[in-house]
Amino acid sequence: MILKGRCIVEGYAEGTALVTKDPISFMGGVDPKTGKIIERGNEIEGKCIKDKILVFPSAKGSTGGSYMLYECVRNKVGPKAIINLEAESIVVIGAIVSNLPMIDKIDINLIKTGDFLKVNATKGEVIL
Amino acid sequence: MFLEKEEEKILDGEYGEVMEKCMKILVKLGDIYGADKLIDIKSVHSPGASYRVSGDAGLNFVEEVSKKAEFKCFTTLNTGGMDLENWKEHNIPEYFAEKQLRLTRAYEKMGAISCHTCTPYFIGNLPLENEDIAWGESSAICFANSVLKARTNREGGPSALAAGVIGKVPNYGYHRDENRKGDFLFKINTEVKTVREFGALGYYVGKIVGRKVPVFEKLRNTNLDNLKALSAALASSGAVSLFLMKKEESLERIEVDKKDLKEVYEKFGDKGKPDIICIGCPHSSILEIKEIASILKGKKLDAECYILTSKPIKSLSDRMKYTEIIEKAGGKIVCDTCPILTAKESMNYDLLYTNSAKLAHYAPGVCDIDVSLLELKDCLVVK
Repeated sequence: MILKGRCIVEGYAEGTALVTKDPISFMGGVDPKTGKIIERGNEIEGKCIKDKILVFPSAKGSTGGSYMLYECVRNKVGPKAIINLEAESIVVIGAIVSNLPMIDKIDINLIKTGDFLKVNATKGEVIL
Repeated sequence: MFLEKEEEKILDGEYGEVMEKCMKILVKLGDIYGADKLIDIKSVHSPGASYRVSGDAGLNFVEEVSKKAEFKCFTTLNTGGMDLENWKEHNIPEYFAEKQLRLTRAYEKMGAISCHTCTPYFIGNLPLENEDIAWGESSAICFANSVLKARTNREGGPSALAAGVIGKVPNYGYHRDENRKGDFLFKINTEVKTVREFGALGYYVGKIVGRKVPVFEKLRNTNLDNLKALSAALASSGAVSLFLMKKEESLERIEVDKKDLKEVYEKFGDKGKPDIICIGCPHSSILEIKEIASILKGKKLDAECYILTSKPIKSLSDRMKYTEIIEKAGGKIVCDTCPILTAKESMNYDLLYTNSAKLAHYAPGVCDIDVSLLELKDCLVVK
């Protein structure tokens, strides 16, 4: 199945999906040294985003999140790509400076954790 | 997005690589969000001003930009990783202090006012109605859009930096009239009058609306401190950048009852005796410090207690002798930082008492600590 969305940051990545229905704040929600979700009560609390295709509805919370995402990527514990329902500026800015492939306007209900995904962000496509 | 000739030149690298990189960030954002052009800004409040947030990646980015560029407009800095003068008293590791100072100096070099605070409106970065600005710090953004009626999107560190050195932002989102309208009407059926209660209200509503614009009907007991708490909480459980205070009948109506706020209090309920008390998230106003001093006069605190604020507000507190009263009670006033943005090593505690819903939200994950969200007088436990 091919899901069509909007390119936010160009690039290509493939890997397994880590999906949450909860919004994410990279500041205070993700440990930039380990890539683990540390926000209490988040659906994927304790899971690691390293090398995953990270799928969540949108960003929330602190504006420190842009640099924290960048730091995750620099520390090699960042995701391979990001898929959102609606791209929120804080993660978008982090993805731009990190050169991290990112797509939005994807119906994320169609993706489950563990699914193997090919993300062609340049074309705005996710192959499930 | 339309670019003027001069802007095109920057994008083409005629003014060097750093300016080109900054312009690219703005153009990219403008293209994603459908901006028609770039518009001039009056001020920047820069997030990513703590080494805890910037990390080495951000520090290097800021230093690189600082070698070649300056801020074109009034720029203040968000909360940093330590009290710039008294950090040695707070278990800040040397490596962290060194990098924080490098980060602060890089921003200073570009012309930023190096007073690290999450309440720039208390230190003179006070935009007027309809002024376009580029602000970070989620609570300050919400406050600037909603209370001051200035116009900003949620800027992250790199975009605030880029906007500052170019002096412009892409014209989208909250810079445009059509996006500054309400989405849901909240009718509040319970009295909210304190910082803790306004925080709980914001926390409850933020989770429901996410990125949308809530409208509050008949919000009573508003003052700067309560609206600061409301803004901070709305932007913690959600990504709210703007709320409105008026009556708008055409919107979907959501009732907020006493039991809804009770849900928030229960999430951050009383969990026993604290070993740390923190007040001032976002940073305390002089009136909040005055109230703390009046509660603590002649008393002795039963836990470590930190009042967080900015340097100018602390100077006022010193002059008014509030600082002396608080210190005699065993408390400390700390400038430039907060528990969330300081070095992890300096936050080695089990249970935190606070009246801030925002701090209650972030502290468990960031500081690995339990939290109780209580009224100010109940936070300040005395012997």
